[in-house]
Amino acid sequence: MTACGAVGLTALAGCSGDDGGDGQETITIGSDIPYPPFEYRTESGELTGFDVDIAEAVFADQLGYDYEFQETGFDGIIASLNNANFRVIMSAMTINEERAERVDFSDPYFTAYQTVLILDDGEIGELDDLRGETVGVQRGTTGEAAAESLQSDFDGELTIQSYDQITGAFDALLNNQVSAVINDNTVSGEFASENDAVVFLEGDGVAADREDAPPYLTLTIEEYGIAFRQDDDDFREEVNGALATLREEGTYDEIYNEYFSA
Amino acid sequence: MATQTETESDTGGVMMRDGAVRRIGEIAAAGFVLAIGGLLVWILATQVNYTLLSSPLIAGRFAEAFFLVIRIVAISSVLSVTFGIMVGLGRISTSPITGRIAKGYVEFFRGTPLLFQLFVIFFGIPRLWATGQFPFENWAVPAAIIGLTLNHAAYVGEAVRGGIDAVPDGQMEAARSLGMSRVMALREVVLPQAWRNALAAIGNDQIILVKDTSLLTVIAVPEIMSVFRNINSNQLDPWTPLVWVCVLYLAITMSMSQLVNGLERRSDWGSDSSMFGRFSLSSSGGSDGGDD
Repeated sequence: MTACGAVGLTALAGCSGDDGGDGQETITIGSDIPYPPFEYRTESGELTGFDVDIAEAVFADQLGYDYEFQETGFDGIIASLNNANFRVIMSAMTINEERAERVDFSDPYFTAYQTVLILDDGEIGELDDLRGETVGVQRGTTGEAAAESLQSDFDGELTIQSYDQITGAFDALLNNQVSAVINDNTVSGEFASENDAVVFLEGDGVAADREDAPPYLTLTIEEYGIAFRQDDDDFREEVNGALATLREEGTYDEIYNEYFSA
Repeated sequence: MATQTETESDTGGVMMRDGAVRRIGEIAAAGFVLAIGGLLVWILATQVNYTLLSSPLIAGRFAEAFFLVIRIVAISSVLSVTFGIMVGLGRISTSPITGRIAKGYVEFFRGTPLLFQLFVIFFGIPRLWATGQFPFENWAVPAAIIGLTLNHAAYVGEAVRGGIDAVPDGQMEAARSLGMSRVMALREVVLPQAWRNALAAIGNDQIILVKDTSLLTVIAVPEIMSVFRNINSNQLDPWTPLVWVCVLYLAITMSMSQLVNGLERRSDWGSDSSMFGRFSLSSSGGSDGGDD
């Protein structure tokens, strides 16, 4: 990891600017931090995660750029990209049509599922038990969209609480404010593995007949992409090439196993 | 600007003439209004999507948020003024225990951010129970009301103390010399005058309370800013929902200004009043003492 990537803040003058002393371009990456295990800080404050390692491999190792992460809120992240606050978004961002109207996505680099996280000893046993209950989501995420679609399935009999960060929604679950949290399986799984009181809601979901289906209820299947401004096609092609190389070389699997093995 | 003033006054020039200063002020103010007004008109003409602005779906969501904010403000306002008067009375207590506790209360709730207090109440307090055992299921709105009340009671308390301090000591002394107890003198003589003094500062604080409800978006209260953020992140259009936000907040705060003005008029002793009126008028600047 480069020094800039490790520190990760644009405030450091030495890292910002496109024309450093060696003429190397710095790629600024917008990201909503924390969203473990994709982007989060260790106890010592070091930025790490799946997206961070992929960024290191793509931008630094493959393409030879400097890069730095810039923290930003998820609900305004696309507007920030288009306002040129950073060059790309790497923030466990699901590719969908709505977003694709505003940004261009790289080839998918991760598959995720929307899942329902509940308290182990709570009253929710199946999806239908959520009728009339409250669920927590992070604002602006596809988890929020999945909750909204569940809300219309329930004829409006579902209250949605939108939190700024996913950690707020997890807190709300532990604090008896919401009956469930709807969010990406990997992030919810990371939280469930650290907290015995919470589990995934089980059942056959949309991914049930897939070979690599997770052993719990899935509301949607989604793919993550790196988001670019729509006038940045050359750079996007460059990144797509690097992503393909990572998969061929096995680097992708190494990084994947580091965060998601078993 | 400073150098200009100096040279003008050296020559006894334009800044020395009342009419000229007045005209310069008018030009500056008019220029300001033209610039801001022009920008506003330009934004309203080019940035606002009027189909979205008037869509019943969005109007309904904002209306729901608006009435929730009004409910939260009404309850927090009554509670914070009531509790704040108690804090203010505690501040002027002759008992060092009461006085210090009231002072400590004000220092803490005025000295830490409201956002911190909201996090303590919303995220912290429920953690005192075992996981999933916290008894209040919809804690966000009660947490909001508790946070706004505790925070603004500190400011109201200081406004009340300032209002009492601004009443001349002679009022208390005169009442005491008539045989009134300290409590009776406060109630009958000092507090009615202190109320008039403190009213502007209390009203000011209550208007800030309205605006402070915008912080509740971070504890997932579906208030006005939350609706804005949801619509903006779905529609990727900031200006249209911002128009709603602006109108709704101003609707609340401007009605509250009117209410405070009315209360101030009612509590004004008027021109036929005795020395009390003049005293309270001449010392009414003291009411600003509690308004930080």
